Amino acid sequence: MGLAVPGRLPDRVIIISVAHTVLIVDDHPSFRATARMLLELEGYEVVGEAPDGMSAVTEAQRLRPDLVLLDVNLPDIDGFDVASRITTHEGAPAVVLISSREGADFGPLIRRSGARGFIAKADLSGSAIEELLA
Amino acid sequence: MNQSGLRPALVAIGAFGALLASLAVVITLTSDHAEKRGVVAAISLAIMAAYIGTGLFAWSRRPHNRTGALMTAVGFAYFMCVLTASDQEVVFAIGVLLSSVFLVIALHMVLAFPTGRLATAGLRRLMATAYVAAVVMQLAWMLVTPDVCPDCTPRPPDNAFAIWDAPTASDVIMIAASAIAAALLAASATVLVRRWRAATRPGRRALGPVLFTGLALVATLSALLAVQAIDSSGAVVDVLSIPALLAFAALPYAFLAGLLRNRWSRAGAVGELVERLGAARARLTETLADAMGDPTLTLAYWLPQAQRFVDSSGRTMALPVETDPFRAATLVERDGERIGALVHDRSLCEEPELVSAVAAAAALAMANERLEAELRARLEDLSESRAKLVEASLAERQRLERDLHDGAQQRLVALSLQVHVARAKITSDPDAAAAILDRARDELRLALEELRELARGIHPAVLTDRGLGAAIAGLASRFPLPVQILTTPLARLPTAVEAAAYFVVSESLANIAKSAGASHATVRVARQNGMAVVEVHDDGCGGASMEHGSGLRGLADRLAGLDGRLEVVSPPGGGTTVRARIPCESS
Repeated sequence: MGLAVPGRLPDRVIIISVAHTVLIVDDHPSFRATARMLLELEGYEVVGEAPDGMSAVTEAQRLRPDLVLLDVNLPDIDGFDVASRITTHEGAPAVVLISSREGADFGPLIRRSGARGFIAKADLSGSAIEELLA
Repeated sequence: MNQSGLRPALVAIGAFGALLASLAVVITLTSDHAEKRGVVAAISLAIMAAYIGTGLFAWSRRPHNRTGALMTAVGFAYFMCVLTASDQEVVFAIGVLLSSVFLVIALHMVLAFPTGRLATAGLRRLMATAYVAAVVMQLAWMLVTPDVCPDCTPRPPDNAFAIWDAPTASDVIMIAASAIAAALLAASATVLVRRWRAATRPGRRALGPVLFTGLALVATLSALLAVQAIDSSGAVVDVLSIPALLAFAALPYAFLAGLLRNRWSRAGAVGELVERLGAARARLTETLADAMGDPTLTLAYWLPQAQRFVDSSGRTMALPVETDPFRAATLVERDGERIGALVHDRSLCEEPELVSAVAAAAALAMANERLEAELRARLEDLSESRAKLVEASLAERQRLERDLHDGAQQRLVALSLQVHVARAKITSDPDAAAAILDRARDELRLALEELRELARGIHPAVLTDRGLGAAIAGLASRFPLPVQILTTPLARLPTAVEAAAYFVVSESLANIAKSAGASHATVRVARQNGMAVVEVHDDGCGGASMEHGSGLRGLADRLAGLDGRLEVVSPPGGGTTVRARIPCESS
């Protein structure tokens, strides 16, 4: 809990101690590339990427990441549905929903989906993720 | 009864009529009390044949007009009069009882011409009185008059209906009946004269022969009544003198003369039709259906601006195709301009003269009715296009949201993350941070460009400031293929028209870029006859249609809001022409 200090820059020591494997799910390649760069810089290991909901479900089962960073708006099934499918079984990865919209736009959908929380894309950072997963 | 069922029925009635006429001849010739048997038999035959024959003919040509049925009824009723020549007591009595019914039906026919229906309540009351007087008073008279013809030689049979002999009552009833008959005849003469005076020129042409013969009939009957009043000794059989009977026999031929005035009997209905159309525009379809003898007739009105047919309530309707086995359409034109079409039973195609005559007569009334149909169509279109505009506006907002979300917003998100990463690297790896910031600047430039494009899509500023020519030139300059602008209007058009024209060009060019496989495109915008005509043509693979392109459908809806319309001509392999016509009278 001591990590959740708002506005605090990434702390190398702490990041190494909580290293996660991540699957990035987003239909925009430019966002996936930027998010990968950011997360790798902050000590995460990006094990895969998926451009849509169905491949996200498949990749999550195949790669078994610790974390799925999941965009809400996907071309086939939406992120809430993907989150529900991924988080149904024991030992499922943690899911963090992301969107360029505000979390408030989605109301209770985030909580009901089985995701651990929501981060606006512009606010994405290692510390924001840690804060949610702590 | 439909057309196909009517004909056999009329044939059967005709055969029955022929049988009765033959029977009438036999009864007359074998009568032991009738005078001038040969002449009377010939006249009876002539009258029955004339009324039943012409009546059935008129009935078959115009099934919805009761005149034919009334004429036929006169022929059959005359047979009752012939029964007075019978030597059988009961048959003779029935004949005497019903001997004047044919005259009442004939009067009914004259007063009900041309529709066969009594037009006013007054006329209906008059005829009801006549029927009651002809049957009920005759029966009353017969009940108290054992010898219906005291001076007749040879003697007719006894009156089988007489129950007692009351000469005073008999005289009173006879005088009352004569008075009623005189009053009825006077009223009928007045009606006929009034009708003649009120008729227009075409009306007089149609009514003339019938009204004159009708008046002649009334005059003859009045004269006979007067003679009877002075000298009541005339025989029952000779209640009509031979000249009067001859005049009576001429009546159906006068009807026929009127009907055949235009060579073909149903075409003769056209004169009457012109008259009736003026009086009853609201019942146009009914009137035309009557004239053509086709109760299934429907009218289609042509809307020249919308280039489509609508029914009288303004709903779009399609004309039957050439191969339709049951229905056919005949175009109605006036001074070379298409007014609409008559959609009728295909069997009427065998009577082209009739159909053309009705179409010609209907043109004026249909031209007037068309205005109303057009108004209704516009109201229908208006509510439809309003709903479509709401839908289109909603779809447009969704598209804008999507474009913003997928475009500039994503780039700005990426930019935010890149700045974040660059900041983290600025001390440890300044070169990498600089490279990331360079990418961020590119991202920012692209985001700005996408925002500009989006703003242009909402409403291009150059269109507002510099007009359609400059805005289309801008579109052409950004287009990946060569675009030749053939013409654009020099003067400004109404704002909404300019915007619609711009989006027609913009959407059409976008479609060409996406899927037409074209090497170049041409754009032409011209003002013609109060319309802005926008044409975008490409030399691509063709095969485009409004059904397959939501963009084109959206355009069509946008144009419908301005009473404009969109047309796509895109034969496979023959390029595509998108043509919009937008009314711009108000500029």
